[in-house]
Amino acid sequence: MPKSKRDKLFFTSLIPFSISLLSMLLLLVIILLFNSIESLSAYGLSLFTRTVWDPENGVYGVLGPILGTIITSLISVSVSLVLSLSLAITIAEYLKGYLKKIVSSIVEFMGGLPTIVYAVWASKYLVPFLKNNIMEPLHASLPFIPLFSCRPITGFSTFAAGVALGISTVPYVASIILEAYENIPLIYREACYGIGATKYEAIKTLLSLAKPAIIAALILGFARSLGETTIVAVTIGNSMTLTPCLFAPGYTVSALVASQFANAFLYQHAESVLYVSMLVTTLISIILSLYASKLIIDWRSRVVV
Amino acid sequence: MYSWRRMRERLFKITVFGVAILALTPLFHLIIVVFINGLPTILEAGLEFIVDLPPTPLSQKLGGIAPSLVGTFLMTLISLPITIVLGLFTAILVTEFPKSRFSIVVDTVAKSLSSVPTIAVSMAVFSLVVVLVNTIPELRAFLNPAGSALTGSLALVIIALPFSYTYFSTFLRSVPATYKEAAYSIGMSRWAVIVRVVIPVVKKSILVAVLMTMARIMGETAALFFTAGRYRNGVPTSITGPVDAVPLLIFDYILSPFEVWHKVAWGATLILLLFYMLIFSVVKIVVKEVKLV
Repeated sequence: MPKSKRDKLFFTSLIPFSISLLSMLLLLVIILLFNSIESLSAYGLSLFTRTVWDPENGVYGVLGPILGTIITSLISVSVSLVLSLSLAITIAEYLKGYLKKIVSSIVEFMGGLPTIVYAVWASKYLVPFLKNNIMEPLHASLPFIPLFSCRPITGFSTFAAGVALGISTVPYVASIILEAYENIPLIYREACYGIGATKYEAIKTLLSLAKPAIIAALILGFARSLGETTIVAVTIGNSMTLTPCLFAPGYTVSALVASQFANAFLYQHAESVLYVSMLVTTLISIILSLYASKLIIDWRSRVVV
Repeated sequence: MYSWRRMRERLFKITVFGVAILALTPLFHLIIVVFINGLPTILEAGLEFIVDLPPTPLSQKLGGIAPSLVGTFLMTLISLPITIVLGLFTAILVTEFPKSRFSIVVDTVAKSLSSVPTIAVSMAVFSLVVVLVNTIPELRAFLNPAGSALTGSLALVIIALPFSYTYFSTFLRSVPATYKEAAYSIGMSRWAVIVRVVIPVVKKSILVAVLMTMARIMGETAALFFTAGRYRNGVPTSITGPVDAVPLLIFDYILSPFEVWHKVAWGATLILLLFYMLIFSVVKIVVKEVKLV
């Protein structure tokens, strides 16, 4: 709390605005919890151990969508790790002057692009492309691996959703990595070159120094992928089956909600089941992103000072 | 030994460059195909595309997306000012008193709120409206449980607030401390320093934050799923009635099996992309003029 009287007045006059933020989060979590109680008391933990969506008989289990959410996010993070790490290194180390500005602007442009635009593109172009060039060859050559065991029929699948998500999170992850990388003090770089390191060796050393920040960026990318709806809903194929195969259609929690919520009020408990699964996703997402931002803050105070 | 190191250097550079280009390829491909597919729709429909109603699934005529455009416009008009005011003043509080426990809590809450899935916000706002209307029936005149521009705007504010807050606080923090110290030393009060020193310095950055928040609001889809109402049979005339939004229309139409709706979806996507490009170019022109010490 500020000390002087005028400062105090200034401080208190601003509080109402900030309360809005606090109340929004509080209200959100309370509403999700409140709506979840009904189905949690009706089904208990069996909700999370089965994969059923049968409103007519009132049987539900959201294991499939929850696993689907985690798997698509994992694929998404792996895709965006490779792409965004290279992008960040290119911008930080190899591009200079005008070109660097242009490429950074392009990344920024990608980051703000409405997700629905990615969704349209992914459903019409990316999915068929992945089906013909990646899924089918993988299935044909390695059908004994359970992940690739099923024939990609339409291409709309967990795999396609993960890749589409990964592409859309590249600018987000890349900008965090880039910021961390460029924040590493110059002395480390000078020390590398001082002992005769080549550029590759210097980059390798600097990257190992930025490792906690990169991990944090990946966690943030993962958290963002967990809740992303539009892109997933149009690429995952919406199917309530639990299969180890990545090329089969699946569900994520948000895709399930997107397709079922509008009619859920017709059935007992259906709406509440959707609230529970969304509550779980939301909590995981909040916890992960808070943990990641703490990682970044710790790293900055240790390395950047 | 030496030559191996040099070769590895080359190899590394080529790989990194290659993958970086691969990372940017989707964007260029995306822009090209949106133009290829969207332009014919707009040319075929002509001016009607922005003033006409959407076609029926089996219609021969393309029609237009007027209800969605008006809906997006209405909801942006309502939610943008609220978001900006709340976000700016919250950012001022947190950057002026960074060590206060309250500020730390607010900052953490903003981070948490920004990681809440947008569709969760949509569900929560929907539920809130239903509960409110059921407990206080008089509210029904303002809050339509089937969705309205007001309800949709509420969801949009919740999505955009942490976003604009992050922008504002980054910009406010970038004001050199020496400026503020100079102002304090001649006896200016905190408010005076904010209004006469800090805000003028970051004036253009604030414009950037406003524009980027606007882009975010215009492009948001999932937050409107259960809050806006998807009203496409006419142009909305009131903010308490159901409305549509451009991203919602695109989402529904691209998932539909009808050819004519796909065409309309492409046209709408092109319009959305053009709007975003316009906002982004303005941002870039403004940023170019910003010279912070």
